[in-house]
Amino acid sequence: MASERESEEISVPLPSSEDASLQATWGLGNQLFVYAADRRPAKDTNGEGSDMGHTQSYDILDLRWGQDMHGPTTRKLINESHSVFVMLQGQVTSLSGSALYNQLKEASRQYRSIAKACSLELQLLMSNTVDEGEREYYGNQVELLETMQIIWSLCEILFIDIAPGEMVLVQLLNWVRWHFSAGREMAQDVINDEIPEEHPAYWEAIFRLLLQGEIERVRKLLSLHSCSQTQPFTSVEELLKKMPQWGNLRTVSLAEFDLKWRHWREECMRRYEEGHFTAFAELERVVQVLCGDMLVFSELKDYCETWYHLLISRLLYQNPTVRPTDLAFHVQACMEEFQRAGHRMGHVDNILQAALEFDLHQVIKDSSTSLGDRSWWFGAHLTDILHHCGQIDSQKLPFGSNLREYLLLEYVAGLMSHHSLWQVGVDYLDHCPVFGKEHMKLYIENLPLDSERKANKLIHICEERDLLEQVQSICKIMGVRCSQDGRLGSALSWFLRSKDVPAATRLTEKFLQDYKENGNFSHLDLLDHMGPTMLLTQQLTFLGKYREFHRMYQEKDLKGAASLLLSMLTARAAPRHFWVTLLMDALPLLETPQVILGTSQTYELMHCLEELTQDLTRNTPTSTTPSRASSTPTPQSAGTGVTAAGSSQILSQRDLEKLKLLRLALCRNLSRSIVHEGTIVPL
Amino acid sequence: MEQPRINVKFVSQKINKIRWRPRLKQSMQQSDTFVTGSWDDEENKVCLWRQQPLLDDGSRNGMEEELLLREPELLCEARHPGDVSDLCFLTQDHIATASSTGSVLLYKHHTITQRVEAVQEWPDLHISGGRRCPCTCLATYGEDTMLSGGEDGRIAMLSPGQAAPVRVLEKADSCTINALAFLKQSEVLTVNSFGQLKLFDFRQNTDGPAQIFSATDDHWSLLCVDKHPGQLHVVATGSQDGTLTVWDLRQNRFPMTTLDAHQSSMWEVRFHPYHAEHLFTCSEDGSLWHWDASAHASLVASSGRPGGDEGPSGQQSPWLGLEASPKLEINSLICNKSLSVNSLDIEGGLLLCGTDSENIYTLSMPHLS
Repeated sequence: MASERESEEISVPLPSSEDASLQATWGLGNQLFVYAADRRPAKDTNGEGSDMGHTQSYDILDLRWGQDMHGPTTRKLINESHSVFVMLQGQVTSLSGSALYNQLKEASRQYRSIAKACSLELQLLMSNTVDEGEREYYGNQVELLETMQIIWSLCEILFIDIAPGEMVLVQLLNWVRWHFSAGREMAQDVINDEIPEEHPAYWEAIFRLLLQGEIERVRKLLSLHSCSQTQPFTSVEELLKKMPQWGNLRTVSLAEFDLKWRHWREECMRRYEEGHFTAFAELERVVQVLCGDMLVFSELKDYCETWYHLLISRLLYQNPTVRPTDLAFHVQACMEEFQRAGHRMGHVDNILQAALEFDLHQVIKDSSTSLGDRSWWFGAHLTDILHHCGQIDSQKLPFGSNLREYLLLEYVAGLMSHHSLWQVGVDYLDHCPVFGKEHMKLYIENLPLDSERKANKLIHICEERDLLEQVQSICKIMGVRCSQDGRLGSALSWFLRSKDVPAATRLTEKFLQDYKENGNFSHLDLLDHMGPTMLLTQQLTFLGKYREFHRMYQEKDLKGAASLLLSMLTARAAPRHFWVTLLMDALPLLETPQVILGTSQTYELMHCLEELTQDLTRNTPTSTTPSRASSTPTPQSAGTGVTAAGSSQILSQRDLEKLKLLRLALCRNLSRSIVHEGTIVPL
Repeated sequence: MEQPRINVKFVSQKINKIRWRPRLKQSMQQSDTFVTGSWDDEENKVCLWRQQPLLDDGSRNGMEEELLLREPELLCEARHPGDVSDLCFLTQDHIATASSTGSVLLYKHHTITQRVEAVQEWPDLHISGGRRCPCTCLATYGEDTMLSGGEDGRIAMLSPGQAAPVRVLEKADSCTINALAFLKQSEVLTVNSFGQLKLFDFRQNTDGPAQIFSATDDHWSLLCVDKHPGQLHVVATGSQDGTLTVWDLRQNRFPMTTLDAHQSSMWEVRFHPYHAEHLFTCSEDGSLWHWDASAHASLVASSGRPGGDEGPSGQQSPWLGLEASPKLEINSLICNKSLSVNSLDIEGGLLLCGTDSENIYTLSMPHLS
């Protein structure tokens, strides 16, 4: 299909040389980033890296196409039809039989009326603008929309809203009446004239209406003629009155109707041959039409404007009970009628011909390639209905899905290239069973995350569709961005949301680092209210507990604070690099007038201190170039899960001084507690 | 219950916020002008609309057709840098907007020439690590005080005519502030993305909140807040998981009632300004709900009438202790499933909402006018 599409050549303002080749990367939807890349093989280039890295500093071009459908009026078309589409898909799953069939007919009419509304609005815009270019643009858009409606209505008559009893002509007449209104407008002018019969368009109006089977209106116009009471006029009036109308004869069968009609036509012919009307040439022509005279239709073809109007008009007077499948036999003659007059057959003619020949695939194929930028809208929605009507065989196309899905995906690509219609696109992808989900994943990964609000909306979309990996990735992007900007609180809330343990762990490190540098906690509103969420990672639990320790200390619950501190150390919950800080936090607790830490607790602390010092001495590099890799975790730390990276630090001189001080304080506290507890009674 | 009459207008822009112009003080006249702000477009807009009244007073023939709502008509529009994340009428013709570019703008609506134009901008109010952070919410008090909150967790107090912020609370929040509401001139409520409701007291000199309330242990982000028009201790918030929480700020231990509501993010919650026993919520799932506690209210003997401040201690609100009450009626107002309903506002008997399906719904609820 794609190969048959009209191609357009664009020259790209990029330097071309033997060394540079044109490269491209897909953007979102109908968007391509084009740049010149070095052709010479770089030594470390393999297939996937070749479009990156070794480009010279050429420009990158942002090419987009199919953006014409992004105008404000088209957006109404898109959004309105979106709601019809979504509702219809629901009905397809919930209804069946005639209930579903009625909904499909209804949806088809709704799509058409949406297109009509859109076209009317464009006409209004066209009449309000003075800009010549704009006027032309709107004019083209209106024409395109009208064309779509002509094709759609015909397809609706032939494939969707199929008339019972195969009397297709009544609907086809309505179709030409709806799309060719010149006759009615002329008639209105004529009626408003003081002397109608002298209006230059008097007879033209009559013929146009006659060709559309508007018998009542024709009779009305004829009755305005000054000679309307003369015999020829009353004769025609009688014939017109007698003309069998299918609408009034619903109860009869097709065969009965045919019989009645043949009788009536014989009478027309008889009167014509008797020469009742020779006094009035125009009146005679009217009767010729009634008789279905071949020649007169050729003469009047300009009043039909198009071959398909002529087709319907001819059938009306020559073969009103034509079966839908026989329509095709009459197409060629009518087309030739116009071709002889120098008309060239265009896309629309071919599409309508294909429809009348019941070649649906050709209709959709040609519509998709030739109806401009809205063709995907047209193709996707029409094909969807036809598919559900069972008119299109749902065979797989060579690329793995059926025609309906292929067209929906093309339509979605257009939506996704728009800045803000991606939400609509997502709903369409839901109804593409084969590739929908994969396409959705790719689109979602490429949507820019401008604000938390947008991120939340995207997450909602993903969660509804079980795209958990994408949720993780969105949370991670948002969290990392917050963290880079120094908004650690927000970052944490994103990682907690996606339960992202590694990211939360790294972030907790930042919090601890922050504390070590500033000596106090920020983000208290967060840390103090984490609740059970802190259990997500060991690090975070430690952070929460450590903050609790500070609060207890501030609230003068020294005993509680001391035992919490000790439990953090003995449970090895703290990262090793934080031990110095933790141990130093014990210092004030050792210096209080009351003894807070008992002997066993003091022993524990001494043990921890010793463990840390040994650890550090073992790891302190003897060479002059300390390297991260040289540090190995101690057996204990490896066993208890304390991160290895934490123990690689090297203590500053100041820290060492502090630890000495701590050792002293521990000793003093030990002796005080021994006395206090009376565990060793002096002899 | 009578179904409201609905008009749907497609406007070719995703509506993020919609607000009625407040009616003039002491006026009984239903406001007929509203403003919308779009989002996520290449060029976003602030638009003013007029909603024709429901009925021509002269032609009340009892004809069904005449009761049809007319379409809102566009009065004027102006470009807006970035998404319009929030909108407030500061005065009858001044509109403040919050932008996703981190700035706050003030627009003036010239009612005679029907033009709207930006008259003041406070650029880069919300910035973090050198990067612009979306300004997410606005609140006004009187005609000269505005507050903005942002994803950077800052609150800025602005005064029209003054280029610099009057005051900035640098560390008001560790997370994103999603919505603001004035409780009194000196007290402001905020909700954040960590599921907290905070009370700030501007008489204090600290940046921190006077009180923090947590909604749930799951820390679902709170997205919107509205205070009861009459009872200052009653506050409603909506959360990311779609639940509605009604808070009693007088209680410290168990301050809230949580009601399961929408299937996804609740973007906005509003008490009816004159009939506070009616509440409206809208959600990402495309629904718009009407919560009617009037049956419950008549049960609660001395229900607070609008306008009364915190009355005698025995006073009860129908919104507190709702879990136990079967008397709460909930109606879904939009039948057609659409994309997210982002914003709603009610003034008298007319309810507006704006959606991501690029349409504006006008619903008439005459019994609430």
